[in-house]
Amino acid sequence: MIPELLIALSVGAALFGVGLYGALSQTNLVMIIMGVELVLAAALLNMVAFWRYLHPDVTAAKMFVLIVMAVMAVEMAVGFGIAIARFRSRGSVEMEEARELKG
Amino acid sequence: MSLATALFLAFFGIAAIWFGVVVFRTHSMVRSAIALLFSQTAIGAMFLVMQAEFLGVLQIMMMATEMSVMAIFMVMFMMDPGGMGKMDMTHQKRLSLWAGGIGLAVALAVIWTAGWQGPVPEVPGADEQARMLGRELLGRSMFIFESAALMILTAMIAATMVAIAPQERDVP
Repeated sequence: MIPELLIALSVGAALFGVGLYGALSQTNLVMIIMGVELVLAAALLNMVAFWRYLHPDVTAAKMFVLIVMAVMAVEMAVGFGIAIARFRSRGSVEMEEARELKG
Repeated sequence: MSLATALFLAFFGIAAIWFGVVVFRTHSMVRSAIALLFSQTAIGAMFLVMQAEFLGVLQIMMMATEMSVMAIFMVMFMMDPGGMGKMDMTHQKRLSLWAGGIGLAVALAVIWTAGWQGPVPEVPGADEQARMLGRELLGRSMFIFESAALMILTAMIAATMVAIAPQERDVP
């Protein structure tokens, strides 16, 4: 039993829960992006905790963290690109008003 | 087990969760962005406690920039960025609470029943870690690293193309 690992993973689980709630409950695109950021941050925390307390000799875990950080930046850039396009055409980024996007 | 490490992890972990909750509780969108910045910074501090110095500093620096940009977008796009009108911008709250709660409960159940075995291994020093990461990036993981660079380039072009205002000649 490794208490530090349990603490770090539990924090990650809590951040995942909060982020999931935020991503599902918010109607504004920017706030939804914030929820997704929290979920990705929880994944980052888990990966660093696994690297530190289980396999500090495996550097590929850190590589994975860098890739998730890149995914976070990409998600935000594309999300804001869509937000700008949406705001320009409809004057709002409220997702309740984006029902025409439904397939 | 190091008591100091566990205490610092718990402290920064509680701070990260608390600020994460504040993000969705406050009516002011600028405060939301700042709360998310604090939450991400607390996670970066946890990385530092876990002796991942490079990743911790990277996380704090990256998130400080990212959240500053996010705060600007908040002011640009929100109907009530200051939260003075106390607008409710949520929907399907019960479903979201259940989804978040079930996700949390399942994750906690897995974490606490997995039976992680010690002892905690020794970690190389910060300089050795940086050297190992450099070798990983330019060696075995080179292809993944280059793919990430391509992904970022593609996203930059896609985000710019989506955001550019359509010209009159583009409209059929």
